[in-house]
Amino acid sequence: MTPERLQFAASAPLTMGVELELQLVHRRDCDLTRAASDLLALVARTRHPGEIKPEITESMIEVSTGIHTQHAALLAELEAIRAALVAAAERLNVGVCGGGAHPFQRWSERRITDTPRMRSVSQLYGYLAKQFTVFGQHVHLGCPDGDTALWLLHAFARYLPQLIALSAASPFYQGADTAFDSSRLNAVFAFPLSGRAPFVLRWEAFNDYFARMRRAGIVESMKDFYWDIRPKPEFGTIEIRVCDTPLTVARAAALAAYAQTLARWLLAERPHPVTEDVYLGYTYNRFQACRFGLEGEIVDPLSGERCAIRDDVLATLARLAPHARALGAQRALEEIAAIVRAGNDARWMRSRYADSGSLADLVWQQVERLRGAA
Amino acid sequence: MRELFFLPDIPPAAQLPWYALLLLCAAIAGEILERWLRLPRLLGWIAVGAALGPHALGALGERSLAALAPLLDLAIGMVLFELGQRVDLSWVRRNPSVLGASVAESALSFALMYAVLVALEAPPLLAAAAAAIGMATAPAVVLAVTRDLRSQGQVTERALLLTALNSAYAVIAVGVLLAWLAREYHGDWRAIVLHPLYLIFGSVALAALFARATLGLLALLGRRREAQFLCVLALVMIAVWAAASLKLSVLLALLGYGAAARLFDHRRLFVSLEFGRLGTILLILLFALTAASLDWRLLAAGVFAGAVLLAARLAGKFVGVLAFARPSGLPVRKASLVALALAPMSGIAVVLTHETVRLYPQFGASLAAVMVSAIALMELLGPLLAHFALVRAGEAAAQAPA
Repeated sequence: MTPERLQFAASAPLTMGVELELQLVHRRDCDLTRAASDLLALVARTRHPGEIKPEITESMIEVSTGIHTQHAALLAELEAIRAALVAAAERLNVGVCGGGAHPFQRWSERRITDTPRMRSVSQLYGYLAKQFTVFGQHVHLGCPDGDTALWLLHAFARYLPQLIALSAASPFYQGADTAFDSSRLNAVFAFPLSGRAPFVLRWEAFNDYFARMRRAGIVESMKDFYWDIRPKPEFGTIEIRVCDTPLTVARAAALAAYAQTLARWLLAERPHPVTEDVYLGYTYNRFQACRFGLEGEIVDPLSGERCAIRDDVLATLARLAPHARALGAQRALEEIAAIVRAGNDARWMRSRYADSGSLADLVWQQVERLRGAA
Repeated sequence: MRELFFLPDIPPAAQLPWYALLLLCAAIAGEILERWLRLPRLLGWIAVGAALGPHALGALGERSLAALAPLLDLAIGMVLFELGQRVDLSWVRRNPSVLGASVAESALSFALMYAVLVALEAPPLLAAAAAAIGMATAPAVVLAVTRDLRSQGQVTERALLLTALNSAYAVIAVGVLLAWLAREYHGDWRAIVLHPLYLIFGSVALAALFARATLGLLALLGRRREAQFLCVLALVMIAVWAAASLKLSVLLALLGYGAAARLFDHRRLFVSLEFGRLGTILLILLFALTAASLDWRLLAAGVFAGAVLLAARLAGKFVGVLAFARPSGLPVRKASLVALALAPMSGIAVVLTHETVRLYPQFGASLAAVMVSAIALMELLGPLLAHFALVRAGEAAAQAPA
């Protein structure tokens, strides 16, 4: 049972942690395959950092890192987890890959993991639960208290389109090109409790909201909110959930460090007021980022001006430079700039598919890319 | 009567109605088993074949069986090719313990069956040949059960790989033993060396040739499902015919063809290969006709020896797979299920027994007597055990709405 009032456990500010949901695919047809429990049993026998856990279906696993302050250390841990996972998967003849959605799996083929929570989710949401076979990266940022967490959560709303566009890696879904760079988020938006957190800036006020929702029987715990960013009181963090799982762990680490640097800048300089106004055009901007990626055009909620997301990222990068130096995140920001120049993973996937004409072959290249071979 | 030529002959000469009856009964029996008894469909096909065969109701006579032989050859070719496609030989490089399990289970089940047969006072060569035939798991049964359940996972993958490998070992071992027999019967020394070599290298070369040809053709055709299907179907037919005409091993050649076509397919030209409805019809014919050609009355005669032989065989498979469970990264429970899934024995054993009978009638007749009751027992038990193993492993797909 969750206690009546949520306690926000303090954590060191600007620490970060990453969760990645990864796909398990068959080596022949490259479709999603049932392998999670065997793979987990095998990695459990090896020594590896971080955690490797089951997810909603047998074709999906989640890896998570410890708590980090430095981009380099975060990257090293992600690489070590990846190495342990790939070694175990090779022995079981299974492929592991990134990407926000499997390009051609059929949702009706999926089987929900047999646990009470997953069963109740499946019963409540019907086909949505199976459609939810999508793979995201979650970034946790540590906050000293609940009030700071809520302020940072709302301040971040302005920058979510950037993170969506930079990480987008799900252009294909159910065997077709969706024309979106991130089709994964469309699967998330179908849930009634998706979207954004209510605009409150005091932890006590948030607790009142949560208590009302719980008394009304709408939610049982924080887990029932599928928001783009949600507070995670037991960790003392805010959790950014809009990113697709990138195709490499290097990109996952860079995105996390970018979010960390953004947070430092926002908290240190408070560059713009945080009011309900930050949500002006929020869903429109989010759509632009999902649909067009870095080429999308967003409306700045405060100035009302339009700009391309790629230019918005570049402008933000320029302002982050001193904070990146302070955090040791320069290399991460260079990588973000490289994404803006060379295109996101969705673009890479489309160009590979254009070359080979085979979605199975594309999945195979994703497997090699995660392994670090391509 | 010539002026009444338009009236039908009595009785009708055509075979077609009997084949139609066979398919109809098989379809109904399969559905009954699947829906109400939750048992594998192919048990129904086997039962119908056995009932209609020359040894029971006799609706399908020896002549009808002979007339269907080409279709049966195609069915066997398709099964072997598909199994070859579904195994990944490069896996044993990444996880050598899987190969260890394969060699161990085959060697142990061979040794134990040999011991049982020698204890039953079979002559050593006869015992060795029968044990070699018994090593093989039935590719058609394992394939049909995994397809029927749409199963996915380690138990499925390993059962398929071990089946392909032990079938190949069986062919090679039988080839060597037949060459040995050739010396005893014909006194020709060259045969003992050349026959197995011809069998192995000839079949592998044929497999590689056909795999290259297929991939070349696919590169021209592109990834179009129908075109690929027809192309592969035709090439499988030619490969079966070529292997048989060259007196190579159809099993080794077709299995190798499928495996090489996957191994060489670096560009993933093959779209996922499904033989679909045609595959099902061929499987029905394969199981029904195999069951029809078995003389089930022999079952009662050799039921005890047969059961002991099967127990020894299964024990060998269990010990072999379990010994390599941990090093190959599989929990003991799942490894036991893999061993259980390797139980089916039939198609290949029947083919090998018949081949042996054809080559060495004196030898084959006594060999067949020992094997038939074991084969007949496993004909019914095998699909059940494999089905059970995959369901218990949690690898069967959820029941899809029809």
